[in-house]
Amino acid sequence: MKLNTKDIISGAILIAIAVVGLWLNMDHNMGSARRMGPGYMPFLALAILGGLGALALFFGLFNGPDPLARWTSQEIIFLIGGAVAGTAAGLVAARMGGWPAAGWNSLGIGLFVGCLVPSIVKSWRPLFLISAAFSLFGLILEPLGLMAAIALSVILSAFADETHKPVGVVGLVAFLCVLCYAVFIYELDIRVPVWPQF
Amino acid sequence: MDLITNLGHGFAVALTFNNLLFCLIGCVIGTAIGVLPGIGPVATISLLLPITFGQPATTAIIMLAGIYYGAQYGGSTTAILLNLPGEVSSVVTTLEGYKMARKGRAGAALSIAALGSFFAGTVATILVAASGPLLTQVALSFGPADYFSLMFLGLVISAVLAQGSVIKSIGMVALGVSLGMVGTDVQTGQQRFTFGIPELSDGVGFVSIAMGMFGIAEIILNLERPEARSVMSGKVGSLMMTREEFKRAVPAVLRGTVVGSLLGILPGGGAALSSFGSYMMERKISKGRHEFGTGAIEGVAGPESANNAASQTSFIPLLTLGIPANAVMALMVGALIIQGIQPGPRMVEAQPDLFWGLIASMWVGNLMLLVINLPMIGIWVKLLAVPYRHMYPSIMIFCAIGVYSLQNNVFDVYQTVVFGIFGYLCSKLRLEAAPMLIGFVLGPMMEEHLRRAMLLSRGDPMVFIERPISAVMLGIAAVALVAMLLPNIRKGKDSALQEGG
Repeated sequence: MKLNTKDIISGAILIAIAVVGLWLNMDHNMGSARRMGPGYMPFLALAILGGLGALALFFGLFNGPDPLARWTSQEIIFLIGGAVAGTAAGLVAARMGGWPAAGWNSLGIGLFVGCLVPSIVKSWRPLFLISAAFSLFGLILEPLGLMAAIALSVILSAFADETHKPVGVVGLVAFLCVLCYAVFIYELDIRVPVWPQF
Repeated sequence: MDLITNLGHGFAVALTFNNLLFCLIGCVIGTAIGVLPGIGPVATISLLLPITFGQPATTAIIMLAGIYYGAQYGGSTTAILLNLPGEVSSVVTTLEGYKMARKGRAGAALSIAALGSFFAGTVATILVAASGPLLTQVALSFGPADYFSLMFLGLVISAVLAQGSVIKSIGMVALGVSLGMVGTDVQTGQQRFTFGIPELSDGVGFVSIAMGMFGIAEIILNLERPEARSVMSGKVGSLMMTREEFKRAVPAVLRGTVVGSLLGILPGGGAALSSFGSYMMERKISKGRHEFGTGAIEGVAGPESANNAASQTSFIPLLTLGIPANAVMALMVGALIIQGIQPGPRMVEAQPDLFWGLIASMWVGNLMLLVINLPMIGIWVKLLAVPYRHMYPSIMIFCAIGVYSLQNNVFDVYQTVVFGIFGYLCSKLRLEAAPMLIGFVLGPMMEEHLRRAMLLSRGDPMVFIERPISAVMLGIAAVALVAMLLPNIRKGKDSALQEGG
């Protein structure tokens, strides 16, 4: 047997999405072929999705070998740690009340923490530090304004590339602040808080 | 002559100051991202989508189109000078173009790339203008069943022509269609898969998907690869071609234009496929074929003309049928819908400014690109001195601001993060994101046409086979699927796409 790990995992993911989707789709009325209900087309699409997932998985058993890069135990531990910490942080934030629970802040906090934890491992850094910096931008933007959001998320994302130097990052932040002010606020006049709101 | 009156109207629209300005901006941005490896037209257009909302629809589309075909021009520059394809569509240009540069003929290669592109762009623009209204007439006679089958065919072909496993690509199409089902059901108003989240009642954010899976995921993948940028070797040299080079290039440009125009219309086709198709053709039949591998001018002239022709003709299915042929066109559909315009055969009559203005602007844009690229080549090469460590935070910030400004809602920002991580996972598992995006755009339209077709036929699925147009579409789709199951054809496609990138 020549296992094609990539195809097997892909197939499994497609099947998983299809199964969850079909389960959720049980709430929707199927209707008849003549008068289709809201559940008809999702059922078709998801059934095909599941079927193709199964095919991909089946052929993946033979058309390999195509292994994924092996994860180190450190990578796995921090990935699971991130998932747990992120979920916990999100749930705690939602219970806290006040700012952390308002709007989508608890989701943002969960995503931010969940991405920050695995980025401690160097090989996860590009993926999770960029994601964390992106979430951080969302968290900061409304309370602290655009300038602070640009500065903090650029500084955080800079750690994803080791060739950065502090002076270069400061220069980049200044450049982006001026550019974004000119383009988005002055020229396009989008409704975004620019400075901290008190 | 209707065509000339209409084109005159188009030029009147395209030559207004505002539209000219945005056409220029689009072309400049397009050239820049074409030169820079690591950011492509899909990511850039999704990045700039939110910015265009403040503009009238025509201006917005003119600019976005400029980015797409501008990228085809810019991509050839670095391919020839640095052996570094700025875009997927210029991968084959590196094969002969860089060899020419090594022989000191970089200037000639750049000239023929730009001139060939301009010629191909002009021909393709005329083709779009001439075939648009014709196809529109045909399209108006399409019933819901025909539309459904046509979209089905589009999805199948886009999956079949995608790189890698066909099963996985069709799987991604199905995933895209399923994602398109999220939100309020149009006919009953029922909320589907929204988990009670009000932000999802309009569906999953189209811009979030595109930015996450193409923008953010691309940044992450580029960061994982070590930076590989060489300094330019040698001088550009004279931009003039010798008489002999010119003579050899002309037939290659003509052939490239034909190949590109045809492959561009094909769903799932577009610039990358056509430049590769043209390269294969030149290697087989051109007079200079024995020189291939040592810097044959045909190997630059053909593919560069083809990719530019294709980037224009791929607008044909979008403008006439409302069906996107590739991921960039899927973004255009998104842009139109957000502007409140339903793409489809009625667009020619309902939005003549948009339709003819866009076509005229394509030609104007090609002319601009000729000027932007040839005399100013040095400036673009200098752009490569900007290291990626300064580029990626900028791209990230632009993505973040853009996606927030869509609805002034941070939910869209978090949605993008999730799709970014998913996009990274997909590329590691070699699941193609482009078919998913096309499926996502076409899914809701297909549902509506399916419902209507079945209602009209009183629930009889035979309607899809009884109507001749529909039957032909489904037949082609079936043939395409079966062909991919034959091992010989599949191997041919894989090796073709591998070389073509």
